[in-house]
Amino acid sequence: MNGWLAAACLLLVLGLGPALCGAVVGPVRSRLLAQNVATVLAALVLLLASPGYDRPAYLDTALVLAVLGPAGTLVYERLLAEDLPRGTPWPGLARGASWASVAVVPPVVVPVCFAVAPGRTTVKVLVIGALLVAGSAVCGRALAKAPRTAAGEGSGG
Amino acid sequence: MAELPVLIGLLLATAAGTAAALSREPVHQALVLSVLGLALALLFTLLQAPDVALSQLAVGTVLTPLMVLLSVRKVRRRPREESPADGRGEEG
Repeated sequence: MNGWLAAACLLLVLGLGPALCGAVVGPVRSRLLAQNVATVLAALVLLLASPGYDRPAYLDTALVLAVLGPAGTLVYERLLAEDLPRGTPWPGLARGASWASVAVVPPVVVPVCFAVAPGRTTVKVLVIGALLVAGSAVCGRALAKAPRTAAGEGSGG
Repeated sequence: MAELPVLIGLLLATAAGTAAALSREPVHQALVLSVLGLALALLFTLLQAPDVALSQLAVGTVLTPLMVLLSVRKVRRRPREESPADGRGEEG
């Protein structure tokens, strides 16, 4: 086991374990936030598995997850708009978890960037990192917003 | 020591699967199911089967929870729509 896989194990235990706990207990809003955090962390683990097993093709899985994850969270947010209550019991914890998941992205992406072969693969890693940060920001803003009532406002989409 | 990532992935998938089986509310279950799909995709990648992980990501993370949520929405909305009307019961 090399350093990449050790870092992936660390992310799995310290990141995805608590995210799973957050998705299991609590109100719907904090569960959705925990699911979003789990998506970002899983994409980072997939990113680390690529140099860990020395297979550049593993990056495709991370790319697919970086695209699908925020889209899925936004779809849930739209479908569950009536179920999302106005706040979480621990708003600071939820916000902290979201920020922590975003803060972990650069320390993972930059070393992976230098580890892979320069050229198109580097660009792909950078695109994955940018997608993760942008998706997390968009989802965090959508979830922090006050929920729409079902009849109050017409949904345009 | 080389099997440690696989072991952790197995433990995560087991925990997520147990949690999905034990949650009673369908909406909560959909979210736990999506985390279970993530855990399975990670496990497949750590077992060095990225193609299986790709399809698992698309199906387990997005499609299955979305279908659960859409059915929950449909089931919940039906009584509200029927109550003012003459209540023609459409099965299915």
